[in-house]
Amino acid sequence: MTRRSSEAGTDGGSESVRGSDRETTPCAYTEYREGRDTEECPATGDGATGLEADVWDALSSVEDPEMPISVVDLGLIYGVDVDGGAATVEMTLTYSGCPAREMLTDEVAESVAAVEGVEDVDVRLVWSPEWTVEMVTESGKADLRAFGLSV
Amino acid sequence: MSSPLENPTDFSARERRALETLVKRLGDDEFVLAERYTEWQVRAPSLESDLALANNAQDELGHARLWYDVLADLDVDERDLVYERDPADFRHSTLVELPFAEGDWADAVLRSYLYDAAEDLRLEALEDSAYPPIADRVGKIRSEEEYHLEHARNWLERLAEGEEGRDRLQDALDRLFPHALTLFESATPPVETAIPTREASGSNEIERNTDETSGDRSDADAAAAVEGDIVDFGLRTATLEELGEEWLSIVVPFLESLDLDVPIDESTIGEGVEYAVTVESLPTQLGRDGTHTDAWFDLYDDLTHTYRELERSDAAKIREDPDR
Repeated sequence: MTRRSSEAGTDGGSESVRGSDRETTPCAYTEYREGRDTEECPATGDGATGLEADVWDALSSVEDPEMPISVVDLGLIYGVDVDGGAATVEMTLTYSGCPAREMLTDEVAESVAAVEGVEDVDVRLVWSPEWTVEMVTESGKADLRAFGLSV
Repeated sequence: MSSPLENPTDFSARERRALETLVKRLGDDEFVLAERYTEWQVRAPSLESDLALANNAQDELGHARLWYDVLADLDVDERDLVYERDPADFRHSTLVELPFAEGDWADAVLRSYLYDAAEDLRLEALEDSAYPPIADRVGKIRSEEEYHLEHARNWLERLAEGEEGRDRLQDALDRLFPHALTLFESATPPVETAIPTREASGSNEIERNTDETSGDRSDADAAAAVEGDIVDFGLRTATLEELGEEWLSIVVPFLESLDLDVPIDESTIGEGVEYAVTVESLPTQLGRDGTHTDAWFDLYDDLTHTYRELERSDAAKIREDPDR
């Protein structure tokens, strides 16, 4: 790592840090792809209202089959879209070879379909950005620690 | 440059054929290799290696599924792809279908290394695929594949330390290497997507490689044409030749560093070609062209036995969910 002190040096002090921050440019050797903002994944439904909030509540009741943690806290849900009575859920799985794939997607679809006002559910599996343990929410991490996992 | 391919329902027959050929070669490799790996369960030399290989098998099954899912948008489902498919329509490399020499862990380890080194390169060449569902899967698959390569390399180094282990590796290398080269052979388009006589699309760009006498073309020509399309459409960003050369430049020096003799012509003719893959280096059956060793047809019979004989096409619920 090389510190860019030569540019900042003439300004001096903390001012220079803010100065170089303002000049931040995209990394030259990284290709930036159009797509979902990975900062927004996973989604947790904070600030959702109305029917969408009800859908998030339903999703929070779906637990991972192996651990006492909801699919929302585990970070599997990447987005919920409600259009009239049609709900679309984008979700991922922790592992590509997840044997509980159908079990989870079926349970998500059933729980959302049971929400009053939802007429149609579309559950889409997506794989990008790939799930990592960083996707687990803070309360999810607490649940996993209580379960005996070190996260 | 090709523009991104967005909506599969708008694909021309040639785009569809290219996508289907690419995805089948990817998914079939993973699926068949996983089937072979599972044979080591409770038979691997230690509990740890048993679990590791079982886990790798599960990974490969997951990856096969991720690739086959890409074809779901083209209305091809998993049952069609696995249980209802003519085994001669599978496009995997013969490397993954061969039975393991009985009890020969060196075979399993070496095969894994040869395959995973190739897979790493081809995944890299799919990261910027023009078809987003392909590109979106690569990160997840690569993150899981890293461990496979590490596992194989570690075991190779350990086995090569002793004389008996190295001898076994050498035998496995002599047997497997020609089949590994088929990983880089072009695949004959699957039969059910024979190109319609008239293209639906009117684009000249799309039409430019269409052979007027396509009905008479040999399978090899069809394979070369569809492989050209895979790269021209941007589905994969490297040619098979480029991938094969890069693979040789990685695996040959590594295997030689373990005092193994790699059975390949080394020519130093000064044209930058260090290793030459000739027709003579390849096995009779290439896999990618739909020709397979008898072992594949036996394996296919085995893995579809329950489906055929017992007509068990769906997982049955034996009892109601007790929690409800």
